[in-house]
Amino acid sequence: MLKSYMILSIILFSIGMVGLISRRNIIVIYMSIELLLNAVNLSLVAISADLADSSAQVVSLIIIAIAASEAALFMALFVVLFRNKSSLDANLFDILGSKHE
Amino acid sequence: MSDRLLLNTLLLSPLVSALLIFLINISIAKTKQYIYTFLALSGSGISALIALFVSYYSYFAEKLFVSHLFTWLGIGDFTIEVTLKADSLSSFMLLFVAPVSFLIHIYAAGYMNKDKSYGRFFIYFNLFIFFMFLLILADNPIIMFIGWEGVGLISYALIGFYFEDIKNTYAGNKAFIVNRIGDFGFLSALMLMFIELGSGGFSYDAIFSHLTQIDNEMLTLIASLLFIGAMGKSAQIPLFVWLPDAMAGPTPVSALIHAATMVTAGVYMVARFAPLYNITVDVSLFIAYIGAFSALFAAIVASRQYDIKKILAYSTMSQLGFMFMALGVGAYSTALFHMFTHAFFKAVLFMGAGAIIVAFHHKQDIRQLRGIRYFDPFLFIMMFTASLTISAIPPFSAFFSKDAIMSVLYSSGHIELFFIAMAASLLTVYYMFRMIFVLFFSKTVQTGERSSVVMIYPMAILTLLSIFAGVLNLPEIFGGKLNISTWLNIADKDFFMSHSGEILLMGINTLLIVAVIIYTYKKYAYTVAIDRESEQTVVARKFCVDEMYNAAFVKPLHSLSTFLDMKISNLLINNTINLMALQYEKLGKAFSYFENGNVRFYALYILIGCVMGFVYLYFILRAVL
Amino acid sequence: MQNEIIFLILAAVAIVSSIVMISAHRPIDSALSFIVTLMSIAALFGLVNATFLFVVQIIIYAGAILSLILFIIMFLNIKDENLPDEKYKNRWLIATSIIVLPFSVILIDLILRSNIVLNRVAGDDFGTIKDVGLTLFSEWVLPFELVSILLLVSLVGSVTLSKREA
Repeated sequence: MLKSYMILSIILFSIGMVGLISRRNIIVIYMSIELLLNAVNLSLVAISADLADSSAQVVSLIIIAIAASEAALFMALFVVLFRNKSSLDANLFDILGSKHE
Repeated sequence: MSDRLLLNTLLLSPLVSALLIFLINISIAKTKQYIYTFLALSGSGISALIALFVSYYSYFAEKLFVSHLFTWLGIGDFTIEVTLKADSLSSFMLLFVAPVSFLIHIYAAGYMNKDKSYGRFFIYFNLFIFFMFLLILADNPIIMFIGWEGVGLISYALIGFYFEDIKNTYAGNKAFIVNRIGDFGFLSALMLMFIELGSGGFSYDAIFSHLTQIDNEMLTLIASLLFIGAMGKSAQIPLFVWLPDAMAGPTPVSALIHAATMVTAGVYMVARFAPLYNITVDVSLFIAYIGAFSALFAAIVASRQYDIKKILAYSTMSQLGFMFMALGVGAYSTALFHMFTHAFFKAVLFMGAGAIIVAFHHKQDIRQLRGIRYFDPFLFIMMFTASLTISAIPPFSAFFSKDAIMSVLYSSGHIELFFIAMAASLLTVYYMFRMIFVLFFSKTVQTGERSSVVMIYPMAILTLLSIFAGVLNLPEIFGGKLNISTWLNIADKDFFMSHSGEILLMGINTLLIVAVIIYTYKKYAYTVAIDRESEQTVVARKFCVDEMYNAAFVKPLHSLSTFLDMKISNLLINNTINLMALQYEKLGKAFSYFENGNVRFYALYILIGCVMGFVYLYFILRAVL
Repeated sequence: MQNEIIFLILAAVAIVSSIVMISAHRPIDSALSFIVTLMSIAALFGLVNATFLFVVQIIIYAGAILSLILFIIMFLNIKDENLPDEKYKNRWLIATSIIVLPFSVILIDLILRSNIVLNRVAGDDFGTIKDVGLTLFSEWVLPFELVSILLLVSLVGSVTLSKREA
């Protein structure tokens, strides 16, 4: 049982990575990050069930709390970025790159 | 009075006085001249006194003064000890070098009066005699080489003393560079000697006792290389070209360095290595021939020169040729005695020339300085006496020394050397009296400023010495006992000449000399013959030796170095480096496409790196199984 | 037996909806399928008796966070021209999945090969709110307090970030 949960967690994590890198839409990038966190939560709960220790569930809870705060900040960020550029393209933010020197 | 104290003070007092003058010169802007004079004269005066003392004891009590200073290098078997040793040869050198230097110091104080670089002059002068003493007193050819190089360096500094005129600097450069070529020979010889002999200690005694261990070819090589050093320092063919140009320096410099001391360092060195030159007779013969040709060449060229100092410079080269002839046939003490007398009369001649130059505001052409007998009769008497001396008229001192050389050459078996020496000697009379008659015996009369007493008195002392110094080494026919030769105790070869032969020789010599004087008198005194001589003849242009050297050595080297600079350094190396830099720049630009500022791409790179790490660990290393 | 079937169904739903999420063009479609993913994960939590987390996941993740996302998406009034032009989306997706493939293959291989199952016996109140609460407030009280500070920080931060320049 635990093994299958771990494998599922790994698959979801990989899917999240793919989405993080491939998409240019910043909202989809954000949701991929959330998917990563959820995959980790899944594996934590499975371990907790296996070990019959609730500490892992507590960790998972804390991760959910952190994801919530991060969501708030991300949203604020979206509002600001959309206000500036009127577009949701991640490729537009490249001031750190070498073209601007 | 211990040996150490005497010798160390002798050596170091000129150095200390030079240092003090230097410190005062750089710290106080306007110093009174007499402070410098006092320091300089005391520096050289103390040395002169000690030198007289040392040579007195060395002659009469046969005492050997040794002063071991310190060990410079001690590597295994090879040691270089810095030791000062005043044996008879060194004391003899000190006997005339130190007092003559002191007298020329006094003269220079008068000559350089009110010169703006008075202090600098005496710094160099005192440093010069310090190095000369180091050369003479060294017990060890390496320490002598330090003195050798030092006198060359100071000679460069003094020749180019009036450096505002760039020609003087070029003359100094020429002197130093030509000297350097000689030094290369000397140094190579030292290194060869060290390779062969170094393990047994490197002082002169040690070298000469082990000399037979080296095979003959190596000895010949060492002897010739050493003589190349002497050629450079004593201005023999082919390394003489610096000496006429060296007259660009102030006259006391010419008097001290290029008459009495530095140019005699070569003679001293050959005499010091007498045991070596006794073994390698081919090299000795070569030395004699070089001396002969130099003497003759210089005498020919001097007979058509018009600048006082250049005439005297070629005269020095010619007299040095005589000394080398004597050294070449193995009569070392005869050569040294001629060096002794030469120092006196040549110094007088140069000092007189200097007095004339100063009196007439730096005119140096004898055709413009005619008829100066009456403005300073004393000067005339001294110059005339010195000229008589150089012509080897009895009973002046050079008669004894030059005639000794002639007899030695006659009885050496190389009769051609004798005839060349005879020709050069007669030419010497000719050019010296040409100069005297044109300067002093003329219908037109000029006057100039009288020289100061400071310049006249040292000249007077030296003139007296040049008259009477011959008595120190009278040969047997005149009842003397060859005092100096027995004192020196160098490995002379024995020459046999019957007394009657000697007297015949001397008689013929003297008659010929008188004849030449009369001829010259008829030609040059009270006539304008000198003005009719052309300046464009080959002889007057010194056989174009300078031009030949320029074309053969200087121009090719110059063009080679220009080529290397322009083509190789600039084009080749610079462009290669620039090319490499350009490639790096392009590579950098190519890599900059990876940094586009997009965070997604950075995340991609991280992912790729991470995956590669995983793959490496898992598949290639099989780390986790 | 039943557990395995339920697990497989839920796993399939999660994977499919997450794939839809990452490949949808419009953000609202991505958000809606993400909700489906979250629901299935919550169900998976429930399958192992972690009932408290099941509830928390639904309320906070699916309920608060996702509704916040939906709210912002609709608030920003995103039109088609605001969306980025992702011409090569499929190619990027396939390429990245090829890059990530070794990574996941290795991990899955590790998991399959190891024997990490311990299978301890849990008590009756495993996963209930009481059990989790007790652990939270005894061993993990410090992280709990720190998380509350973190929430405060993010609250202040989001207000500051989105202030209009006066």
